[in-house]
Parts: sequence; C-alpha cells; structure tokens
Amino acid sequence: MPTMPIRKNLFVSSVFLVGNIFLSTPKVIAEQTFSIGAIPDQNPERLNRLYKLLSEELSEKLEVKVRYVPVINYTAAVTAFRTGNLDLVWFGGLTGVQARLQKPGAKVIAQRDIDSKFTSVLIANKSSGIPTIKNIKDLKLLKGKRFTFGSESSTSGRLMPQYYLEKANVTINSFKGKRPGFSGSHDATLALVQSGSYEAGALNEQVWKANLSRKRVDLSKVKVIWRTPPYANYHWLAQSNLDKRFGKGFTSKLKTVLVGFSSKSPRQKEIMKLFGAKKFVPANANQYVEIELIGRKLGKIK
Amino acid sequence: MKLLELNKVNVYSKNNHRLKNINLTIGSGEKVALLGNSGSGKSTLISIINGSLLPSSGKVFFKDLEIKNLSPRSLTKIATIWQDLRLIEDLNVLQNINVGALGHHSLYWSILNLIGLTDNKKSLNCLNAVKLPINLYKKQVRSLSGGQKQRIAIARMLRQQGDLLLADEPISNLDPYLANAMIKLLLGLEYPQSIEVPDTILMSIHRPELISNFTRVIGLKAGEIIIDLTSNKLREQDIRLLYSNP
Amino acid sequence: MKKIYLSSPILCLLPALAIIPVLTNLILNIHLGGVYLLLDFLKSAITPSTDKLVILSAIKGLGITATIAISSWAISSFTGIIIGIISSNKFWIFLKGPSWLGKSIRRLLAFPRSIHELIWGLLLQSTLGLSPLVAIIAIVIPYSALVARVVADQIDTIDDRSLIALIQAGTKPINALITSIGPAILPTIISYIGYRLECSLRAATILGIFGMGGIGSELELSLRSLEFNEMWTSLWLLIFSIFAIEELLDRFRLWLFTKSSSGRRIIISLILVIIITIMSIILLYIQNQGLFLDIRWNTVKLTDIQKLLIAFNELDWLNLYADTLIMTLLAAGIAIGIPPLTLLILPAEIGGKFLTIIWTFFRAMPIPLTALILLLFTTPSIYVATLALAVQNIGVLGRLLKEGIEQQKNELFHSVTSTGAKMRSAWLYSRLYSESKSYLGFAAYRTDVLLRETAVVGVVGGAGLGWQLQESLSSFDWAQVILIISGYSTLTLIGEAISEYSNNNWINSSNSTPSHHSLQY
Repeated sequence: MPTMPIRKNLFVSSVFLVGNIFLSTPKVIAEQTFSIGAIPDQNPERLNRLYKLLSEELSEKLEVKVRYVPVINYTAAVTAFRTGNLDLVWFGGLTGVQARLQKPGAKVIAQRDIDSKFTSVLIANKSSGIPTIKNIKDLKLLKGKRFTFGSESSTSGRLMPQYYLEKANVTINSFKGKRPGFSGSHDATLALVQSGSYEAGALNEQVWKANLSRKRVDLSKVKVIWRTPPYANYHWLAQSNLDKRFGKGFTSKLKTVLVGFSSKSPRQKEIMKLFGAKKFVPANANQYVEIELIGRKLGKIK
Repeated sequence: MKLLELNKVNVYSKNNHRLKNINLTIGSGEKVALLGNSGSGKSTLISIINGSLLPSSGKVFFKDLEIKNLSPRSLTKIATIWQDLRLIEDLNVLQNINVGALGHHSLYWSILNLIGLTDNKKSLNCLNAVKLPINLYKKQVRSLSGGQKQRIAIARMLRQQGDLLLADEPISNLDPYLANAMIKLLLGLEYPQSIEVPDTILMSIHRPELISNFTRVIGLKAGEIIIDLTSNKLREQDIRLLYSNP
Repeated sequence: MKKIYLSSPILCLLPALAIIPVLTNLILNIHLGGVYLLLDFLKSAITPSTDKLVILSAIKGLGITATIAISSWAISSFTGIIIGIISSNKFWIFLKGPSWLGKSIRRLLAFPRSIHELIWGLLLQSTLGLSPLVAIIAIVIPYSALVARVVADQIDTIDDRSLIALIQAGTKPINALITSIGPAILPTIISYIGYRLECSLRAATILGIFGMGGIGSELELSLRSLEFNEMWTSLWLLIFSIFAIEELLDRFRLWLFTKSSSGRRIIISLILVIIITIMSIILLYIQNQGLFLDIRWNTVKLTDIQKLLIAFNELDWLNLYADTLIMTLLAAGIAIGIPPLTLLILPAEIGGKFLTIIWTFFRAMPIPLTALILLLFTTPSIYVATLALAVQNIGVLGRLLKEGIEQQKNELFHSVTSTGAKMRSAWLYSRLYSESKSYLGFAAYRTDVLLRETAVVGVVGGAGLGWQLQESLSSFDWAQVILIISGYSTLTLIGEAISEYSNNNWINSSNSTPSHHSLQY
C-alpha cells in the first residue's frame, strides 16, 4: 500500500516536468509574427471578419505571418501598442495621439479617404421630443436628457461631440443623473438610443451610415439631430522598429500595400467595404494636432 | 548513578514564589512519588525538569548536562505525561501514539504519520499495554472520554521510550481498577514484554494508598520540599502535615 | 421619554431601511424605453440562444475563465500558505528569530490585500500588456495576501500546548509544527481555500468583463449589443457552474473531514489539484498560442512630486470619497438587512427554499453585469451602483444566515412556540436571536469586502473612486492613478481596522467557535 502514493508522486512530478518544458519553449514564433489590432469600436463579429480578411491579405503581400489580436477596450489597445504586443494598430484620432505620445517614433502610415474630414452625429430617440438642431447654441436642449457617449476614449463617440457640446455650455454634468453613459461602442450607442434606454447619444457617422445601409436602423424610432464639423480621425499607426524586425524597407512596403488597395481585387474590395470607404490614403501626424489640443483641453491627454 | 540533579532552583511568577530553593538529586532506577496539595508546585517542578520552563535561578542537570543545553535527541530521553495530556485532538488514536516517536524520526516520517502510512506495530503494542481495545485505533481523539484520553497519553509516553518518566497525575481520571493497573505498568511492575517502560520515575499523585509501590516520596508544600523519605518510612502525620492548611 | 434599546436581532433588520432611498431613486428614474428593454431581457431568460456557435463560444469562454480561475487559485493558495506561515508569530518564535519580522510581513500584506483584483488587473494590463497571465497575476496578488492572513491568524490563535509538549520530547521544530498545528488548522484552512475557488471564478469573470477574456467578455459583448438571448446562454452557463462549484465544495468538505482517514484524502486531493492546475496552465498556454508568455515589462514614466501635486489638486477628493462611502454603507445596509427581513416575512419551508434559489442566482451574477442591466432602464447614478453591489452580497449573507440557522438546535425555538407565540415572532426570538450576534460580526467583515468592491461597480455606475480610476487610466495619467490607488488603499485599510474592531467585539461577546463560515464571509 505505501508505494502507491509514491508512484503517484512520480506521475505528478513527471507531468510537472513535461509542463515546464512546454512552458519554457522560447517564443520564436511570436517574434516573427506581425501582430495587428484595432480599437474595438464596432461589434466584435464584424471586426473579426474584417481583420481576418486583412490579415490574409497582408500576409500574402508582405510575406510574413500576420496575426490579428482582438482587444476589448480602447485603453487596452493603446497599452498593447505601448507594450509592443501589437505592431500595427487601427487607432482613432485620440487613441492614436495617446499611443504616439507614449511611444515616440511610432509612424502614422495611412488613413481612409473619409478620415481627413470625419464627422460624428448626435442621434435622438423620436419619443424624446428633441428637435433637429440647426444652430450649435441649441445643443443646450440636451441638458437634463439621458445621454450616452460611446467609449471613454473614442474620438468620434466622445471627444469631438463633448468638445462641441461644451461650446454650447453643455458639460458632462449637464445630463440627467449628472453624468452621461458610456455605452462602450458606436453600435451599442445606436442600440441603446433606438431602444429608448437613452434619449440621445453621439456616434461616428460612418458607423451610422453603415447601419443605415444594412437596415439596422429603425428610422421610425431614431433620427439624426446634429452633425459635427469635420475633423481628422482614424489612422494606421505602426511601431518604429518594423524595418529592424522584418527587414529593410518593410514600413514603406506596408504603406504601399495599404494605399494600393483597390476594388480590382475581390478581397481588397471586401476589406474596403467593411472599412466603409473606397481606399486608404497616406496620412501624417500633423493632421492630428487639433485632436491633441482638444484632448488636452478635455483632460484625455496629459 | 545520578540521573537528575536540581541545584538551588527558584521559580518566580508575577506575584508568586512558585519554587523555593529546590535541591534534589534522583538516581537511575528510582521510583519517586511526588506529593502535595494543588498549587504546591508539583506541575511547576515537572515543567522545570523537562525543560519546558526555565528556572528563574538555579540549574537543572540531566545526565550531568544542563537541561537547557540538551540536544533534541537527548530530550527524547525525558518522557512526560502532562496533567492536561496535550494530545492532538484532531488526529486519531494511533497517530497520537506515534507522536511519541516523532523525536526519533525524520520529517518524511512525520508526514507519513499524518496520512496514516507508518508502521504501527510498536504503537499498537503500546495501545494494548494501556488496556484500550485495539479497534479504537482509528477513532479521533476528540471523540473519546477523559479516561481513554489519559491512557492514550500514557501510551504515547511509552512509545517515546524515554529513560526518565515525569508523570503529572497520570491516573486522575481512571477507575480504581484501571488506576492500579496503570500504576503497575508505569512503575514497571507488570507490563507486557513487547514494550519498554522508563526506568526512572517521578510521578505526582493524589493517592497516598498507592505509595507503597514507590521507592521514594517527596512532599512539596508552597514550593518547598518538606518531605524526602524512602517510601517505607513515610508516616501518617507526614501526610497530614503535607495536606494541612498552612 | 422611554429609552430605545436596540437588541441584536433588531440591529440585523434595521439596516434594511437603506433599500428605501436606493429603490426610490431607481424607480423615479425608470423610463418607458427601458421598461420594454427590461421585459425583453427577462423574456430572453427563458429563451436563451440555442445557436450552436453561441453555445460553443460560451463554453469556450467558460473554459478560459475556469482555467484562469483555477491557475490563479492554486498559485495564490500555495503562496498564501507559505507567506502565511512566515508571517505568523509562532514561526519566528520557534525559529528563535526576531518576532518583528513576522509582524512586519503582516503589515506589508495589508497593502496588496486592500486593493481589489480588478484594479490590479487594470494596472497590470497597463504595464504588462495583453497576456492572460495578467489576469492570473491580478488575482494572485490580493488572494495570496488574503490566504496568508487567514493562515497566520489560525497558526497564531491555535492552542499550542501540545506543540510545547512535542518540542519538550525532543521533536524537531518543523516536525512538531506539522504534526501538532497542521491537523488543528487544516480543516479551517482547507475550507477557506475551497471557498477562494468560488471567489476566483467570480474574479476571473469580472476581469473578463473588463477585457481580459473568457465568459466575462462574452457576457459584456452580448449585453452591450443588446443580444439578450445570447447573453442568457452565457449567463445560465455561468450560474450553473457557480452553483455546481458551491455544491461540490460542500460535498468535498464533508468527504474530507467526516472520516478519520482525512490525512490520506488530503494528499489525494492535493495531487488532484496539482494535476488540474498544471492542465489548466497548459490549456491556457495552448489557447493563447504565443501570447501567453508575451509579457513586455514596460515601465511607466514615474511621475515627479510636481505632477503628483497637480493631480492631487485636480481630483475632487471630497466627492470621490463621499460617493464611495455612501455606496458602501447603503449597499452594506441592504445586504445585511434584507436576508433576515425576507426570512422573517417568509419563514415557511417553501419560502426558505425559494429564497435559497434566488440567493444562489444573486451570488452568481457578476456585479458589473448587474449594474449594466440596471442601466438599461434607469440613468447612471450611485444608486444603480449600490444596488448592483448589494444584490450579490444579499446572496452571500443570505446563505450564511440560513446555514447558520439550519445548524441550530430546536430547543429554544420549541420553548418559544410552546408559549403559544406565533411562528414569526417565535422565529425572531429564537432563530434570529441566537444567530444575530455572529451574523453581525460576519456582516462587519463583509462591509469591508464591499468597500473594496465599490471599485468594480464604480467603473460601471460612473461614481466614486473606481470610476475616476478608469478615467485616469484611459487618459494615461499615472500621477492620478497612483494617488487614487493610495487613496483607495487608505480607505480600505481604515475600513478593515474598523470592521476588525467591531468584529472582535461581536464575536467575543457571542463566544462562538469559529466555523469555516466565519472566515469565508
């Protein structure tokens, strides 16, 4: 009888040993993988579909293994870029600036044709009685309403709408309950306003349009009440060390590949369709100076 | 041969002089009865001898070595039956008896004991010697009666195989028949061949009628030794003096 | 004027008054749009999605959460026991080392313990990146400290006469410690550690809701996109597993301690735990191909005094503290008062069974999820946060109270009913009365836990220190982050000291022997 536990011990320690060998295998694979990510501004299923296609396309064109790493919130995306978990990230205006400030040398690669003149819309549930707003001063009608933004760090779902609301003296404490909601994403904002959970909300116009065309919007329940002036938004941001890791000229090759996406290739066409735009265009850091200023003003950049 | 020596031992507690200038020598093979009323210092004396309490002044020697300098191995030679027994209530009977042998074994063995995988022959012999039914061995000590616990404490002491036995009222919970049997066991008068009994004994006891079994009697009163005689010289008035109010 | 005397059963019931301001505020803020959504939400409970993909992804999510929970639980139990031993006074006394060492280790442990695992998670995510190891470490840090405290307390309060006897008989200190203290403290410690597994599962779920993967993420995403049917698939799965774990642990405790051969059973369980843990870690490694060890230490630019001062002035301390305290006290009031109140109203057998089911359900609901659901039909406020916090704790304290009452002997109850007293008054005077003092003691302990949990709910309810922390983290304002965490830590340490003080008073006066419950809750 006494030998049995000893045999068990042996078994356990061998399992342990095997486990250790498993765990200590060097992460060679990880080093050579080109990791891409995105701020999770839309439904994750949609993002998964989009980035799976994009990973395949980039992998073929760049001849490296490409992996899409899903991230669940905006802050985590910035962090993952800072910690080097992600090599190329689709950032919003604000998150992109935050990421560049924390990782000096990171390169703005490209944006969509729609991103240099991007807009947000404010939407309202029809039963709330909020009228369409002609003059920016009339945004004060939103005082005391149940209002939701998207993510805390969203440019089009929070930063720019909040900026213009404050121009009309509507601060984040002016809403019902003395605080706004943060739905987490643009799709969620739409769903919550449409259902009546919130009377009004702010979201990115491209997502609004995409939902319109996919007939996800019930226009008998929800309407656009105001549109912000244009500002620069989303962009691709890449780590500064890509040439060192993936070979000389990798960064510029990446830029060429992205900007070269066209409707001739079916896969590229599908990707651009999911991105809600026609093509990518070159972009540079200077376009986001205004965002940085506003971000600092509203305390989202220190 | 001298086994134990106490030299000018004094013990003070907060507002009490518990042992007063004790000088005592006990030779190998002596069977000493320790008498005295409650609070006379019997338990303190036993704690001083086994080293669990250090004297405020004075010295204690065991086999010519000062007790506080004894190695663990030499300490195993002093076996104690504590007044409050000090059994490990969460373990079963056999494991508790094995505890007596812990000083002779390694860490590995003490773990084996906790999971009940030790060789138990010797402990079963001890259990048998204290007249406890063998089928009790798996019972948790917590669930036993006072008398049973006391005999387990005796069995644990036997398992330790010490040279000196210090016993603090070891039969207080037993019926007259068992008390008699245990005294005979502890004094080495009647015991099974399968076990060993310490050769030298210092036992505190409240039953003067049993004293004839001992070789020597020591009487403590208010922390002082006032009687130290061979047992056959003990007289009725000595006992009366010992238990009278001061 | 007559003087009012508050006896202990009344003190159990009185805190229930806290429900009045909370419910009033919530009801006043309910809106029609939300009511439809709520009905929709409730309807979906009976029609969870049976789509194969949804079920598969829920199961996969649960798998990730479970592996994170098991790994962090096993690691924290192990380190907790070790640290607990070396932070006990007895350990240093027997090593003849300096006893201040144990004390100072205990003092140091107060810090990791005072901060909720979610905060550790958010912090570590900001410094270490996306590896699932982050979630494990986030749970291990506070849990090790919690286990260590219990172990050290157990070692130091145990009766050590048999230990002295062993040392006297020449046993080596380590053997003596194992043999005499081990069996005495193991049942309590094993029960406590078993309970930590439940906690780990909840913690891993919450970390998931905040982006660290697993079933928490599934729940959050489906709720955010208002896919209630899909959400219920995950939620039912989670509720079922929490219920199963509670039941299993109860049976396990019985199996382990009713027979005297428990030593062998403990070893067998230990081997099983080690195997399961290693399998969990291997599974996690495989699931996260490449990411698992992809930890990138990124030092945050540590701030200077100047920045700290600026940040200090920027924060609205008074409001942050006030919100946090109000949430804690109201939630504690509800969580303490509602279980005895509902038991009083429904003292019959069926009522009790009904409450048991409801409370199991409450315990399984992740706090931030409750808050998000409440937010569907009300406006964000500290009352939403408070209620979400209270719901889970009603479940915890309710179970404790009911189990305590069920273990009572019937004499007192019968003696009261024999006077012709009505069932309800008899219940109040015998059942609740006998249980009330220890219940209040545990409630004080629980208040302490609640204070820490405000972090979780504050983030969602938009109130208190938790919310400000999330805001500062998303602005990458490290000066503020450091200040808020120190602020939080101070607050919870003060709370701990107060509850410990009141706990000692209650427990001592009721003179109850510590059961495993006294430690669990």
